[in-house]
Amino acid sequence: MLDAFIGGLLLVFQWESFLYLLIGATIGFGVGILPGLGGGETLALMMPFIYKMTPEQGLPFLLGMHSVVATTGDITSILFGIPGESTTVATIVDGYPMAKKGEAGRALGASLMSSLIGALIGAGFLAVSIPIVRPLVLAFGSPEMFMVIILGLTCISTLSGHGKRGLLRGLLAGGFGFLCSMVGQDRQAGILRFSFDSLYLMNGLPMVPVMLGLFALPEIIDLSVQETSIARSLPQGKVSKGVREGVKDTFRHFWLTVRCSIIGSFIGIMPGLGGSVAQWVSYAHAKQSAKTLEEREGFGKGDIRGVLGPGAANNSKEGANLIPTVAFGIPGSVGMAILLGAFFLLGLVPGPDMLTKHLTLTFSMVWTIVVANIIVVAVSLLFINRIANLTMIRGNLLIPFILLLCLIGSYTASKHMGDLIVMLVSGGVGYLMVRFNWPRPPFILGFILGPLAETYLYAAMARYKAAWLFRPKVIVILILAIAAAVYPFVQEKRLARKEARNEAMG
Amino acid sequence: MAMKRLILRLFTSLVIVVLSGLPNEILAAPYYEGKVIQIIVGFSPGGGYDRMSRMLAKHLPKHIPGKPSIIVDNMAGGGSAIAANYIYNVAKPDGLTIGAIDQGLAFGQLLKVAGVKFDARKFSWVGSTGVEPTILTLRSDLPYKTIEDLRKEKKEVFLGSVGKASTDYQFPILLKEFVGINFNFVIYPGGADINLAIERKELDGRVGSYSSLKPFIERGLLRPFVRCRVSVQGIESLPVDEDLTNDIKGKRLMSMLAAPARLGRPYIAPPGVPNEIMNILWDAFAKVVKDPELKEDAKKNRFEVEYVSADEIQRILNELFNQPPDIIEEFRKYIKF
Repeated sequence: MLDAFIGGLLLVFQWESFLYLLIGATIGFGVGILPGLGGGETLALMMPFIYKMTPEQGLPFLLGMHSVVATTGDITSILFGIPGESTTVATIVDGYPMAKKGEAGRALGASLMSSLIGALIGAGFLAVSIPIVRPLVLAFGSPEMFMVIILGLTCISTLSGHGKRGLLRGLLAGGFGFLCSMVGQDRQAGILRFSFDSLYLMNGLPMVPVMLGLFALPEIIDLSVQETSIARSLPQGKVSKGVREGVKDTFRHFWLTVRCSIIGSFIGIMPGLGGSVAQWVSYAHAKQSAKTLEEREGFGKGDIRGVLGPGAANNSKEGANLIPTVAFGIPGSVGMAILLGAFFLLGLVPGPDMLTKHLTLTFSMVWTIVVANIIVVAVSLLFINRIANLTMIRGNLLIPFILLLCLIGSYTASKHMGDLIVMLVSGGVGYLMVRFNWPRPPFILGFILGPLAETYLYAAMARYKAAWLFRPKVIVILILAIAAAVYPFVQEKRLARKEARNEAMG
Repeated sequence: MAMKRLILRLFTSLVIVVLSGLPNEILAAPYYEGKVIQIIVGFSPGGGYDRMSRMLAKHLPKHIPGKPSIIVDNMAGGGSAIAANYIYNVAKPDGLTIGAIDQGLAFGQLLKVAGVKFDARKFSWVGSTGVEPTILTLRSDLPYKTIEDLRKEKKEVFLGSVGKASTDYQFPILLKEFVGINFNFVIYPGGADINLAIERKELDGRVGSYSSLKPFIERGLLRPFVRCRVSVQGIESLPVDEDLTNDIKGKRLMSMLAAPARLGRPYIAPPGVPNEIMNILWDAFAKVVKDPELKEDAKKNRFEVEYVSADEIQRILNELFNQPPDIIEEFRKYIKF
């Protein structure tokens, strides 16, 4: 196994593979930054080129591109509050407020560095877990997967909802997201729901316009009303100093970053929901690390740890995402589905063979993710001042550009006017949600995971009738979810009591 | 002097504008040049239909004048009914969208399975990549070794299926009714998901095309039990479902259900695609199955590939749709959700 480990690394540095890795990483860089243009879509468009490549060229290209997208997607989330990818939504919650405070550089530095650490740990996790991977994935059946989705939703709801009714609103928003995901044909039989006889709605609400509309439009409205730049106040000193600060922050909270990376790796193994859920569970964990009541309130307003957690998790999940794809032929995400297609074309059959006969190749994939991320982070750190300065540009100049990007990004969903209408309507809904303090992240998670949740719930019911609720792993995950929901309240009470005591004594 | 230069410039610009606006017909560019064909697979990635489509996407462009790019997208659900609905109702009949759908889809329509919003006869059928007989397999670690064992089993035997519009549901339903096996079904978005569920022991087995299941049989994960009347090399010795029942109606239905096996892995285009474009596609399909590079890839994937023409498919469909209505009514009774 050790020789496969090292052999894999050497494979990456063969000049041909490395060249394609660089090309892929460059494309991934651009794709991640553009809102709406997702890693998955672009990978699909790249397929015809990949047909002509050999495995040594095609795999580094694909992996280089895909693993970089999560790193650069964070950049758009922080700078504009618009998710560059569906997996970088959590970064918005604290990253964007930091940008508004003029601390964009710091947030960017932290997210880049934590992304790097996340990628390294994720790759390490993959390498280490290869012997136990198969039993691990096999241990989670449909009931357990459904509960993990519920866990993710609960984590989001407790975190992004502020105030007394935060949890309730979060769960309701998540439920509303589930509801919206049901528009169209149901996956079990193809029966139409909520389509109002419209051909466009027959295929459901497309994710990209909804996501862009929900997050981008309210911010754009906000910007245009305030008539300032994104960074409301003038930053102290050059932005690059902020970046260095952010990088140092990652090391100041090193163990938190590591823990969040591990969370990301673990959840990333779950096919399908890894990407979306991992960022939130790690955000939850980051918030729990707050030591005082004030600090807890600070999350959501620009705490650096709220950037570190998701930043690390959505890169560590990349390595973990490979596991179900390689070991079982079940893609962990849309990008992995494309990768899977590429495997078949290159003659590789996912399954036990990949972990034994082709172990060196599997390790080379792990190393590709690591190397690609290192390169992108290094390059980004060089240019980060320029990128962060975007937050200083007057809103009026930025808005048309961002709006155009969003419209184009939305239209690519189905190339139909309906896409733009959906985006505008979601924008309206998003604006109302912001106005009345309803959290948006649970909605988008419910929306994205809805079809998957329904598939798992249906399979669980069909297979086990109601008995699935009593399976041991299901109960454990349910307890975790309840704990995630209840713990913040308990912790708040405890902290409040401690502070009251301190005040009384002091 | 200046006048002359101005006129010269104007003239050059005019020539450039005209040349760049030259209509394609004059340059005789092939229809598919510079275009992208989208193959929409009605299942989640990783299964047999999906892998066959990706293989085709790789080799087809060579055989289409203009060498278009081909990308593969997945639209899983309803046993590929969702993808078929899309191709039928939404996709434009411009030859740029092709669907990879379940061989049992026409049957699904006949049985009025909920969710079907198309008429299979109206699709522009492109063709199929060969005959794909259906077999029933169960996990080899289960105590069942023969059909008799299954018949005796009182507990439910859980099979994975992608939906009622698919043969992987219709075939075992007939076994349940006429051979008396206590099957129950759990629906997943694709063959790959079903295979994973089998490995997790969440399911007891599945019905599917022999070529999709061959690797698992060879690996020892699955044990084959029954096949449909249509056979290929490797499964001739399996009992045929028709022989397992004495009921005349049952035999008749099972024999009818074998027709989709001849449809193999069908590819469809929206209704109303002009004949000139269909001709290009038919030609390409007929050529690609003889392509030596494709044959090599097929071998790696354990596929047998041959061309079943659109005409042949229409014939099979007509046969199906001309069955007496009472026999269809009978079948419909057994399809419960």
